[in-house]
Amino acid sequence: MKTFTIGGIHPPENKLTEDKAIEVMPVPAELCISLNQHLGKPAKPVVKMGTEVKKGQLIGEADGFISANVHASTSGKVKAVKPAPHPGGQYAMSVFITPDGNDEWLEGCNTAPVDWKKFSKEEIIAKIKDAGIVGMGGAGFPTNVKLSPPPGKNIDHIILNGAECEPFLTADHRLMLESAEEVIAGLEIISSLFEGKAKASIGIESNKPDAINALKQLGAPKGIDVIPLKTKYPQGAEKQLINAVTGRTIEPGELPFDKGCLVQNIGTAVAIYEAVCKNKPLIERVVTVSGMEITERKNILARVGTTFKDIISFCGNTTAHANQVISGGPMMGKAVFSFDAPVTKTTSGLLFINNKGLEKSKERTCIRCGKCVDVCPQGLGPWLLANVAQLRDFDEIQLLGLANCTECGSCTFVCPSKRELVHWIKYAKALVNNRQKRKTA
Amino acid sequence: MISEAFIPAVTSLGAVALTLGVIIHFVSQKFHVEEDPMVTIINDILPGVNCGACGYPSCNQFAEVLVETKDSSMSCPVGGADLATKLGDTLGIAMAEPKPQIAVLMCQGSNGVARQTAEYLGIQDCWAATQAYVGPKVCKYSCVGLGSCIAYCDFGAMKLEDGLVVIDKDLCTGCEACIAACPTGVLTMQEKKAERYVIACNSHDKGAAAKKACDAACIACQKCVKVCPEEAITIDNFLAVIDQDKCNACGKCIDVCPTKVNCIRLEKDLKAVKQKQAS
Repeated sequence: MKTFTIGGIHPPENKLTEDKAIEVMPVPAELCISLNQHLGKPAKPVVKMGTEVKKGQLIGEADGFISANVHASTSGKVKAVKPAPHPGGQYAMSVFITPDGNDEWLEGCNTAPVDWKKFSKEEIIAKIKDAGIVGMGGAGFPTNVKLSPPPGKNIDHIILNGAECEPFLTADHRLMLESAEEVIAGLEIISSLFEGKAKASIGIESNKPDAINALKQLGAPKGIDVIPLKTKYPQGAEKQLINAVTGRTIEPGELPFDKGCLVQNIGTAVAIYEAVCKNKPLIERVVTVSGMEITERKNILARVGTTFKDIISFCGNTTAHANQVISGGPMMGKAVFSFDAPVTKTTSGLLFINNKGLEKSKERTCIRCGKCVDVCPQGLGPWLLANVAQLRDFDEIQLLGLANCTECGSCTFVCPSKRELVHWIKYAKALVNNRQKRKTA
Repeated sequence: MISEAFIPAVTSLGAVALTLGVIIHFVSQKFHVEEDPMVTIINDILPGVNCGACGYPSCNQFAEVLVETKDSSMSCPVGGADLATKLGDTLGIAMAEPKPQIAVLMCQGSNGVARQTAEYLGIQDCWAATQAYVGPKVCKYSCVGLGSCIAYCDFGAMKLEDGLVVIDKDLCTGCEACIAACPTGVLTMQEKKAERYVIACNSHDKGAAAKKACDAACIACQKCVKVCPEEAITIDNFLAVIDQDKCNACGKCIDVCPTKVNCIRLEKDLKAVKQKQAS
């Protein structure tokens, strides 16, 4: 079975919710839709306090080339436009909507599915852009930008990312089982943008045999390869997935299209299908609610803007021992600092854990065991990066390949001295950025 | 017997030392660099901490440039007025009077005053904390309170107290090293004065939001603006600012400030106060 060549770890999978069907979450009492749900510039609000909005109506307009539209996820009245906590750890401008209970679609949205073959390439890209679709795996890069590579770059391999290598998360897994046809249709739409010349495949880790079978049956007649991958973290990272599926290596400084590859997430493929065929903007996503410290573990279809506190009450509250909540997976997710933070287009999971053990595990010195070097999928020396970061030598650290670190967390996971390697690397990145800003200012 | 064993060692090493000494003598004469003795003299007067506050990487560099250009506007913030007169006397020029500066923390959100967000267990450094989330305090403009700046202070003028950085006014030389070390920009440089009132708040949040986040936040109520006899206070983006050139330290603003813990703070520089009293 295929897998990527350098590094990788095997954390306990803990896929506790893989058998739980996706539940549709009802409209909460208030929605807080963040205008910063993507990479790049936050969207510009186009509604004011008091504006009546319909479900699917544009409320934030893409501001610049790398930015994305934001839509209302139910009908109602805009209560306020003000900064609110963001699951990324900062405050972001958000539109608060009080739902009117009718959940009424904007005219022309969410129609009966039409055949996508009648649309031209430009029309499809425009529809994806209007629907505000971004990469739903976590980074949130605007999909329309990713689907229009610069001229001269020849895409010959399109890969759908069904690896879902993060422990606990099962959102993509459930989507592959329950919306297999939409996943395949989404991939076909993406292939059509490259005149069908590119090879289309879906990479799925072998711990999801049911999803592999389901997609194999549907994909085989359409020439879509379903490639089972040997389970290893971080297989779902773009560079590692390309390496696993095609054997190509993305060198430092290169982007996937330099090696003729294009990777899209499973959720993004479904969103593309819905945007093109049903004219439905991206207003909801599947979120895995899991972890040891929540009463009912579920996969839920939550509207963008549902706050975490509404999700907690929908899932029967936390247990008494819960003291940390993570948005995303346990490896790369971020600890949530406020339950008023909402679900965004990139929130793949919400984990409730007890970190009592972590408080005691204080950072110790490096013992040069080399485990972090073994597991680094980017071939870096995390111990050295962290040491140099601690010494604040920011010239040296850039020579050591600071920018190549994808912050996957494998090194921190294996470190026997419990060093916070990734956190030191993130710290160095922040200070290098600050220094460059000061230099240009 | 032992002395016999020493003879070859002493003679051989002695010969080597003598030859090398002769070579060094000739080389130093051949490659002699004419150096202005004044640079050494000036360098001895300078504090010698190489803090970089003057804009040159080291004290020696500062001395070289000063001796070469005899620029009277050059100043060493660490040495202050005493050093300026010394330098002037040595060089025979009238040095401009330096305007000493000190670092002032524009925040009073100590533990209990500022609302806390989630507990932070990661690396104890302001930059690392703000990288993970908004920081341990709700107000994103506040002093993070983990003391990244302290390591950058060459003069031991900073310490952490109750979740805030405290600056010793007597030890601070105004070298500005701490300013770049702060992720929230809550440290500012201000001209050294015996007594000053500062709006010790950095929050540009609107009044209600600022009040929710911290008891000592400026809510931009304009009361101090109206009461100030010198018209020294202005509101800039929901934050009051005192113009130190106009302020005469009357303290009227502090009486009208309605925030529970006053957001206006009286800053005293004991050294400067004593100087004032002596003169």
